[in-house]
Amino acid sequence: MTSAPTETRQTSSPSPGQSGASPASHRSVGRYAEQAALPLAWLALVVVFSIMSPDRFLSTGNVSSILGSQSILFMLALAALIPSMVGDIDLSLGATGALAAIVVAVLNVQHGVPVGIACLVAVVVGAACGAANALFVVLLKTEPFIITLGTGTFFTGLVFWLAQSTTIVGVSGQLADWTYLHQFLNVPVQFYYCLLIMLVVWYVARFTPIGMRALFVGQSREVAVLSGIKATRVRVGGFVIAGTIASLAGVLYVGTTGSAGPSSVDSYLLPAYAAVFLGATSIQPGRFNALGTGMAVLFLATGVAGLQLLGAQDFAQQLFYGAALVVAVTVSRLVRRPATR
Amino acid sequence: MTAALELKGISKVFGGTRALWDVDLDVEQGEVLALLGENGCGKSTLVKVLAGVHEPEPGGFLAVDGRPVDLPIPTGAASGLGLSFVHQDLGLAGPLTVVENLVGSSLATVARSGRRISWRREVRDASRMLLSYGVGVDPRAVVNDLSPVDQALVAIARAADQLRQFREQTGAASSVLILDEPTVFLPEQEVEFLFDLIREVVASGSSVVFISHDLAAVRAIADRVTVLRDGRVAATTRMSDVSDDEIVELIVGSASAAALDEATAPNDLLDQAAGDVRTSVRVTGLTGGRVHGLDLEVATGEVVGLAGLMGSGVEDVPYLLFGARPSAGGRLEIDAATVDLGRHSPAAAVALGIALIPADRRRDAIAPAVSVAENMMLLVARRFSRGGRLRLGDLRDTADARAESLDVRPRRTSVPIGTLSGGNAQKVVLAKWLEIEPRLLVLHEPTQGVDVAARAEIYRVIQRATTSGMSVIWVSSDFDELATVCHRVVVVSDGRTAGVVDRSRMSPEAISTGVYAAARATTESSLSTAEKVPQ
Repeated sequence: MTSAPTETRQTSSPSPGQSGASPASHRSVGRYAEQAALPLAWLALVVVFSIMSPDRFLSTGNVSSILGSQSILFMLALAALIPSMVGDIDLSLGATGALAAIVVAVLNVQHGVPVGIACLVAVVVGAACGAANALFVVLLKTEPFIITLGTGTFFTGLVFWLAQSTTIVGVSGQLADWTYLHQFLNVPVQFYYCLLIMLVVWYVARFTPIGMRALFVGQSREVAVLSGIKATRVRVGGFVIAGTIASLAGVLYVGTTGSAGPSSVDSYLLPAYAAVFLGATSIQPGRFNALGTGMAVLFLATGVAGLQLLGAQDFAQQLFYGAALVVAVTVSRLVRRPATR
Repeated sequence: MTAALELKGISKVFGGTRALWDVDLDVEQGEVLALLGENGCGKSTLVKVLAGVHEPEPGGFLAVDGRPVDLPIPTGAASGLGLSFVHQDLGLAGPLTVVENLVGSSLATVARSGRRISWRREVRDASRMLLSYGVGVDPRAVVNDLSPVDQALVAIARAADQLRQFREQTGAASSVLILDEPTVFLPEQEVEFLFDLIREVVASGSSVVFISHDLAAVRAIADRVTVLRDGRVAATTRMSDVSDDEIVELIVGSASAAALDEATAPNDLLDQAAGDVRTSVRVTGLTGGRVHGLDLEVATGEVVGLAGLMGSGVEDVPYLLFGARPSAGGRLEIDAATVDLGRHSPAAAVALGIALIPADRRRDAIAPAVSVAENMMLLVARRFSRGGRLRLGDLRDTADARAESLDVRPRRTSVPIGTLSGGNAQKVVLAKWLEIEPRLLVLHEPTQGVDVAARAEIYRVIQRATTSGMSVIWVSSDFDELATVCHRVVVVSDGRTAGVVDRSRMSPEAISTGVYAAARATTESSLSTAEKVPQ
């Protein structure tokens, strides 16, 4: 016991006066640089692709396609953001979205259910998937990483079963009208749905008491619990909302392609997490945040669209997504370090 | 006969404070030497010097088995000198079996050069080794499934066996096993098994240094005793030449020994609150962890300290009262409300106006990456919301004003709280809880790692809050602090209220005297009942 207080004192900052002006002002310069890094990287991409493909990259059609085509990724990234914000992870969200997509297709095509009702059912299924994850992870206190890997595989099994391992085509064109075909300012409306959800998540996280509670649950769960916050409730809510948003990604997929098969939204899971982690290096560095996630989706979409314009093959997309995730996680680790020292 | 271990003139300075002053210590071959002293007397520092964790000041001398050893001891080299340590945490991997633990630790010392491990042989050897020390534990058992006392026995037998191998390989005549508070978390009745093992270890040819708070245990096992007080050797003597009262006097200093009898009068606190002060908090039968039926009353505006040795249960009380750890039972009355502590939760505690400042600040009290303002205003975020919108400007302004009045440095509340010093972070934690104007503030080691100026500020702020009626329960192992801030200090031993030091007799010495006397009384009574049980 003799040395314990001394050691504690050594690890904390030596004198209260010193930690005042100079290190803080240094840090704020660094902070601006961190916040601006991702937007600057995006600008650099735009400049590079514009120079390499001047007539096509900046055309209206291409900008519209960048914003519109990646809405499924955008939506799934917003879903993945929610559990991440409260300190969990949900790897079943891709499968949840795929399940929602196949539910819409099966109900509409094979059972003649109006597409609006089919979509509502799909959203309920998504929420139920989130609730199942919450049951195991939060209430039965298991490890989210491995449990959601398991539930995700299970959901994928359900998808194959419902699809009978074939792609179901011929979903009512009404859905495509309301997602992909209708445009506002030359951009498909589904982009604005994502934008709206992003702004709502941002607002709730930043400007409401519930967002503040969620922040503490995510950053320091013990502190939240010992401040009387019902962390269990917050985390359950996180999984259910994530499942719901993931099912919307599934609906957008059906709208965009008019079909659903054994594999659909699940292939977007990795880039979605790349966006979430990349987003945590921006806007509010060190925190998972909605605006950063949106910025990151824009960055990824631009990169992929540019590579395609330049004639890169399919594997380039995988290379780009994979590298972005690795870089994002490494950078966010480096960004977090000074704050949690 | 050469001494097994000889230390001369060992000193150690941490920053400005001197933890050890010129300490001399010798351990004879085949004896049990008890090392006694209060928290902060220098025992742990001395052990860490021997283990090679701390570097002593130049000028000290150390000899093991008559051979001088260069100081400082390189980290990890102590075992090569014939010194072996068993700390309170035992150093066993809980999810593994006993034999896996034994093989694992031997990999570090014995060269096995890539031979296949024969588990059948290892189990047989482990079983034989344990039995040679009288430990009848199945080597195939998982450590976590063993009782605490069996875990301690395995750890000690392992250390003793390493020393035996050391003596066989080097031909050394002696070796020293250092047991650092091994009895703290053991049920009193089972300590006897540990003593049998220590006697076996001594019989096998090792010496033992036994570090403990527990006077009765020391009386039962030690040949000689060295008492440290304030970093110096207060005395070294044969156990047979000294009474328990004299040992307590050596531990706490002679000035306070006179207060010994007075301080142990138990449970006069219940009529304490009668008179013009109003009782606002009453705890009855609090049970859970190492607490077994604790009763406590706190008057409006009163600061009540809780003091006890490690393992007395005192460190569990704050978390049980706040619902942060499951409680087996008890009742908490706070003003008009009554809470069944068996079904308590932190959320319910906050709703009742109970605040907790936990000991582990970095883990339990602050979110390091989040701003000072948000940490401070977490509990009252709703106050700043209008129609669901949080007015961050108001929140910042209020946080800035609080930071100003508490002299939190730096003043900018937008910086992450993890960048603040311990003292400034603790002021923020205090401000956070005072924001809800709690009726009861529970503190656990609130000034650990806090500099002197911040400490004074924290005392001042809490004192001011009590004038508006807040009651305080203050748990600390720093008895100087308790004597400074408390109206009354309740002594806890074996999970129960065991005595009281009131305002008129308040001094750090009176508190430590009370604490030691209570611990002694508890141990003696349980040892005597344990002896009766087998008949």
